[in-house]
Amino acid sequence: MVLMVLLLGGLIILDIRFGTVRITLSDMIRHLAGTRDLTEQQLIILTRFRIPRVCTALLAGAALPVCGLQMQTLFRNPLAGPYVLGISSGASFGAALVVLGTGASGLLSGWSLAASAWMGAGLVMLLLLFVSFRIRDGLTILILGIMFSSGLSAVISMMQYFSQADALKSFVIWSMGSLGNTTGKNLGVMAWTILPFLLLTMSYSRVLNGLILGEDYAVTMGIRIRRSRTMILASTSILAGTVTAFCGPIGFIGIAVPHVVRFLIRRSDHGILLPATMVTGMVVLVFSDLISQLPGTDRILPINAVTSLIGIPVVIWLVILNRKARAI
Amino acid sequence: MVMQDIPPSVSLEAASLGYNSDRPLLAGIDLTAGAGEMIALVGRNGSGKSTLLRSILGLIPLIGGLCRIQGTPVQGFDSRERARQVSFVASGVEQPAITVRELVALGRTPYTGWTGRPGERDRAAVEHAIREVGLEPFMDRGMDQLSDGERQRVMIARAMAQDTPLMLLDEPTAYLDVPHRFELVRLLAGFRDRGKTIIFSTHDLELAMMAADRFWVIHEGQVHEGAPEDLGLTGLFDELFRDAGIGFDPVTGRFRYLVERRGRVSLDGPEGPVLTWTRLALERLGYSVEEGDITTRVVAMTSAGGYRWRVERRGSTSSFDSLHALARFLKLHD
Repeated sequence: MVLMVLLLGGLIILDIRFGTVRITLSDMIRHLAGTRDLTEQQLIILTRFRIPRVCTALLAGAALPVCGLQMQTLFRNPLAGPYVLGISSGASFGAALVVLGTGASGLLSGWSLAASAWMGAGLVMLLLLFVSFRIRDGLTILILGIMFSSGLSAVISMMQYFSQADALKSFVIWSMGSLGNTTGKNLGVMAWTILPFLLLTMSYSRVLNGLILGEDYAVTMGIRIRRSRTMILASTSILAGTVTAFCGPIGFIGIAVPHVVRFLIRRSDHGILLPATMVTGMVVLVFSDLISQLPGTDRILPINAVTSLIGIPVVIWLVILNRKARAI
Repeated sequence: MVMQDIPPSVSLEAASLGYNSDRPLLAGIDLTAGAGEMIALVGRNGSGKSTLLRSILGLIPLIGGLCRIQGTPVQGFDSRERARQVSFVASGVEQPAITVRELVALGRTPYTGWTGRPGERDRAAVEHAIREVGLEPFMDRGMDQLSDGERQRVMIARAMAQDTPLMLLDEPTAYLDVPHRFELVRLLAGFRDRGKTIIFSTHDLELAMMAADRFWVIHEGQVHEGAPEDLGLTGLFDELFRDAGIGFDPVTGRFRYLVERRGRVSLDGPEGPVLTWTRLALERLGYSVEEGDITTRVVAMTSAGGYRWRVERRGSTSSFDSLHALARFLKLHD
């Protein structure tokens, strides 16, 4: 855990250090120490782009795996995650409505985009909630989530097919994910949404522990199941919806990081799992961001592709190494 | 009697249970479980045993009537208070990737604060529960490294750590071999002897008859209660399994397969095990063993270092050195 935090610190510095414009670490230290000032341009790059970018990576890196962990515990299914449940698809659908529907080329920075992604995520969440009040069985809800997700993807495909070339390109770029579009005000909104819900989730570690043996046992151990399930679904869709709204879909870390953490610390207590998942998620996403900037070149890869390419070998390795022990 | 002042641990009053309010599985049920009683819940598959247990736990709302735990209606408890009154062990064996100690510690959930972090008392209760079920060498093992019997005991230790006066178990012996079944029932009887009320559903009637103070028998939508011996006397057990080809002999108190009747034999021999086992073998084959002048006569004898048997009928005599050989002969020639 301490190691992870140190690793995270190192990666944050590296991520700030590297980019298309060269700003060395010693320059930054001298600037802070007041011995030599950075140029105006370098300062703008740091404060307007690189630092917000790292902050975004930290927020998204903490939020997405926490969603995955909660879903995996609630549904007792190692494959559960915001993407599988259709919450991210809901957010994408909201975004598609704005970008493709209005043909808006003022890409990504708009509040309208965020708000419609929230609404899309919230819509799917409300559907899931409605269903979960009627159906007790978590697996059924999971299957319905997959159906919602597939249905929305189909609708998005149709919208893409009929949309203008400009709008289509904007949407495709958004769907590749980016950590670099949250400047200033957007970052504030993101932080003020994600941080309280991360804290709220921490306060639910007792409930999440109670759910390890399934909902029936949870109820007999004194957990108010409907309230807990509502809270978990709500916080998941707000966390995942927010990240998706501002960064686009960032795949894989939501589902993979909790498995990595369980494998590393071999504990099931959510009081430990939750913070460990947050820190590990931050490490993974900051690292992915570093890779996506291809240090030494001036090209940037889409973050969604990088997280997948980094995550997949890790999970395959874990699955093979740990074949006998079940993930949950 | 002093007992009158203590409210029963569980009481169902004109309760209707089931998932569909239009067609309750069980209707108008009146049942009680006294404090410190061990109750075996029996009935055919699908008769409503699990539904009854889940209704008492509050997992399924009652369709009608009332269920009280320690005198308080189940709906009157908040979820945490109820979890301090009743604990549950579901059927099926859980295998999450978690250690024995962590799993048993989950039983302390109704006592911990919002972080779920166990305190000193919780830790002591967890270790005590693990000792009770005899698993202290496995305390820090993963659940995936245990046998089914051990896992079932861990689940019981979890319920034990929940420290409730009432414990409900749904078919706790289902996946266990015979020695483990006995071990488990003895464990539950030990809890009962220290004052817990235990209600467990089972298909293992003979085992239940050895340990339970009382039976709840679900049969054709009715629930009958009584000491196992009371129910045996009324012929209820016989009725319960008749169409499944199993009979309950109210004379011997044993279950037996209903086989085609083969006729009558007489049996002679020295009193003792040889006579008992010969009689059992003949009954298994479908003979009724009677006194008097009967055409087939079986004689059991002790001979040097063992036993021998003779069958006399219609003037001919055959002899055998095992009950197996005797049985084969009777099957072929009768």
